[in-house]
Amino acid sequence: MNALYASRRRRDFSIRVLCYAATALGLIWLALILFSLFSNGFAGLSWAVFTQMTPPPGSTDGGLANAIFGSIAMTSLGVAIGAPLGMLAGVYLAEYGRYEKLSDVVRFINDILLSAPSIIIGLFVYMAVVKPTGGFSGYAGALALAVIVVPVVVRTTEDMLLLVPNTLREAASALGLPRSLVIKRIALRAARAGVITGVLLATARVAGETAPLLFTSLSNQFWSVNMGKAMANLPVTINAFVQSPYETWRQLAWTGALLITLAVLTLNIVARVLGAERKQK
Amino acid sequence: MAVHTVKAYDAELEVIDRKIAEMGGIAEKMLADSMEALTRLDVELARRVVESDPRLDALQREIEEQAVLTIARRQPMAVDLRELVGAIHIAGDLERTGDLAKNIAKRTIKISADARVPRAIVGIKHMGELASMQMKDVLDAYSQRDVERARAVWGRDAEIDALEDSVFRDLLTFMMEDPRNITFCTHLLFCSKNLERVGDHATNIAETIQYMRTGETMPTERPKGAQ
Amino acid sequence: MTDVMTKDPLTSDASPPASAVDAKVSIKNLDFYYGESRALKDVNLKLEANRVTAFIGPSGCGKSTLLRVLNRMYDLYPGQRATGQVLLDGKNILDPGVDLNLLRARVGMVFQKPTPFPMTIYENIAFGVRLYEKISKSEMDGRVEAALKGAALWGEVKDKLDASGLSLSGGQQQRLCIARTVAIRPEVILFDEPCSALDPISTAKIEELIDELKSRYTIAIVTHNMQQAARVSDRTAFMYLGELIEFDDTPRMFTSPAQQRTQDYITGRFG
Repeated sequence: MNALYASRRRRDFSIRVLCYAATALGLIWLALILFSLFSNGFAGLSWAVFTQMTPPPGSTDGGLANAIFGSIAMTSLGVAIGAPLGMLAGVYLAEYGRYEKLSDVVRFINDILLSAPSIIIGLFVYMAVVKPTGGFSGYAGALALAVIVVPVVVRTTEDMLLLVPNTLREAASALGLPRSLVIKRIALRAARAGVITGVLLATARVAGETAPLLFTSLSNQFWSVNMGKAMANLPVTINAFVQSPYETWRQLAWTGALLITLAVLTLNIVARVLGAERKQK
Repeated sequence: MAVHTVKAYDAELEVIDRKIAEMGGIAEKMLADSMEALTRLDVELARRVVESDPRLDALQREIEEQAVLTIARRQPMAVDLRELVGAIHIAGDLERTGDLAKNIAKRTIKISADARVPRAIVGIKHMGELASMQMKDVLDAYSQRDVERARAVWGRDAEIDALEDSVFRDLLTFMMEDPRNITFCTHLLFCSKNLERVGDHATNIAETIQYMRTGETMPTERPKGAQ
Repeated sequence: MTDVMTKDPLTSDASPPASAVDAKVSIKNLDFYYGESRALKDVNLKLEANRVTAFIGPSGCGKSTLLRVLNRMYDLYPGQRATGQVLLDGKNILDPGVDLNLLRARVGMVFQKPTPFPMTIYENIAFGVRLYEKISKSEMDGRVEAALKGAALWGEVKDKLDASGLSLSGGQQQRLCIARTVAIRPEVILFDEPCSALDPISTAKIEELIDELKSRYTIAIVTHNMQQAARVSDRTAFMYLGELIEFDDTPRMFTSPAQQRTQDYITGRFG
C-alpha cells in the first residue's frame, strides 16, 4: 500500500467518523425531544382532554377541546383558502407563465415569502385585518395560516408540474387538446400525488404555527365555533400554559404538544406514502 | 473516397477487393496458358491449367462468404452495397472464365494426339488474344474503378462475336472437306464457343463495374455481332 | 446477365414515381428559427397521400424540427417561428388564423418516448375521441376496440382495458399511443423516432403497423436508423445542417443517391 493511498484511507475514515457523529448528534436531540414529549404527554392523555374546555386560572381540571377544535377549524380554513390559491399560482408558474419574465419575479417573491418568519405574517394580518375589523378572530387566524400555506403549495405545485415530462404535454397537445385541458386532465393528473403531498406538508407546517395566531385569533377560554370571534387553538394554548404556575396547565401543554406532533407525524407519513406511490408508477 | 467511421469496415472491403484481384490474375493466366497449350498442343501446360482451377473456386467461395458476412454485419448502403453485390457477381464471372479456360485445356489434352488441321487453330488463337485483351482491360478497369474503360470493353464485345462467326464457317469448311476432321474440329468449335463466352463474362464484369460506380445499369441490349 | 443488371431495382418497386401521386402536404420555402438561430433553410418538399416519407440525417440536421412544424408543435414554446408555406390540402397551416387544436387533430403525432396518459388504457383512447365527438358508450367501445385493433394491440389488452396505460411494456405503450392517434381519425401521422426506445421485436411490430397505416394515412417518419428508413418508407429525405440535401424514392436513395453528402452519410463515412 503506498503512502498516498494510506493517507487517503485515513482521511476517508476520519471524515466518515465525523459524518456519523454529526448524524448521531442530530438524532440524539430528536430522540430526547420525542422521549420527553411522549413520556410527559401520554401521562396527561385522557378523555377529558377532548371533552373539557381549557381551564380558567386557578382551576385544576379541564381539557383542550376548544383549542383542538379551533386548531382544526383554522388549519382547515387556512388550507382551504391557501391551497387552491397556491395551486393556481403554481399552475401559472409551471404552465402558462413558464417562459415569462413575470414568473421569475413571482417565483422570487414566493421564495422570500416561503422563508419569511411566521411572526411577520402574524403581524401583517394583525395590521391588515385584526385592527381594521376591531378584534381578534378565527378568520384572521385562518387567513394568517393561509398566507403561510400559499408559498409552500405554490412551490410544490410548480415543482411537481415541472417534473411532468414535456413530452406528455406535447403528446396531449398533439391530439388537439386545448391548453386548459392539457393542464387539467394530463399535467395535473400526472402530478396529482405530488401536489397532494405538497398540500399535506403545508397543512402539517401550519398546524403547529404559534406566532401568526398570537396576533390574530389569540385565544379563547370557552367553547366557540364562531370564527368571527377570538378562537382557542393548540399552539397558543400550549404557549400560554407552559409558562403558567399550575401543574395541570403544564400537563395540558405537554398533551397538546403531543397531539400536534402526532397530527403532524400522521400528515407526514401520509404524504410519504402518497409520494412513494407516485414514484412506483 | 472518404474512409468509413468504422475502420474495420474498410478493411473488410479491402480484403474482398484484393481477393477479386487475385482471382482476376489467376483467371487471366489460365486463359492465356490454355490458349498457349492449345496452339502448341502442350499437354503439360494444359494439365497445369486444369490444376489451377480449384484455387479459383476456393477464392470465389471466400469472396462470397466475406461479402455475405459484411452485408450481415454492416448493412451496407449505396456505393458499399453496390460494391459488395458487384464483387459477388465479378467473382462468379471470373470463376466461370476459369472453368472455360479449363475446358479448353481439357480439350487440348484430348486432341493433342490427333491434331489434323493446324491452320484451323489460327482463327481461334486470334479469338483467344481478343478475349484475353478484353479480360485484361476489364480487370484493369475494375482495379481503377474506371467506368470509361469498362464501357469500352463492353462496346468491343461485338468483335469477338464476329470472329466466332468466321471461325465457325472455317471449321465447317474443314469438316466438309474431310469427315476425319470432324472430331478435331468439333473440339475446336467448343473452344471458340468458350472464348466467346469469356468475352461475355468480360462484358458482364464491365456492366457490374458501371453499376458499382454509378448505380446505373447499361442498356439491356448490347451491340451484338450478327449470329 | 445478372438480375441486378437486367432489372432496374428502382423502377421495379411497387410505388409509382413521385410525380404520379397527389401531394397531401406541400412545404414551400420553409425557414425555421429558434430565436435567432436558423434551423431550417429554405426547405421545399412534398408529402404524398398514402405514402411513407422518411427523414434522415445526423442529429441537429433539422429533421425533427421539420416534423414539429407540420403540426405546429413548436407553437408551445416561445421564440420559435416558421416562415414560408406549409400547405395541407392547399391551405397554409402557418397562417396566424389557423386553429391549432383542429390542425393537430388532423395531423397526429407519435413521439420518441412512449407517452401514455396517466389513465386507463380505455381512457387513453376515449379521451381524445370525446374532445371532438359526442358518441354513446357502445359506440365509444367500438371506437376503442377498432383503434386498438388498428394498432395491433387489441389481443394483448382486451382483458385489461381498465388497467393503467403505464402498466404496459414500452412497445405496447408505443402502440397504445398510435392507437390513440388513430382513434381521432387524423389525415396525416407524424412519427418522431417512434422506435428509438424499443427492442427489435417491438420495432418490427411498429414497422408492420406503419406499413398497414399507409393505405389510409399520409405518413412522415423521422428516424436515426437508416435501415428502418429503407424498410418502411417510399420516399426518403436527407437533411443536413437545416437544409434538404436530397429527396428521392427510397430505393434510389439507399442504392445510388445523387449527392455525395447523402452517400457519405448513409454509408457511414460521415465527418
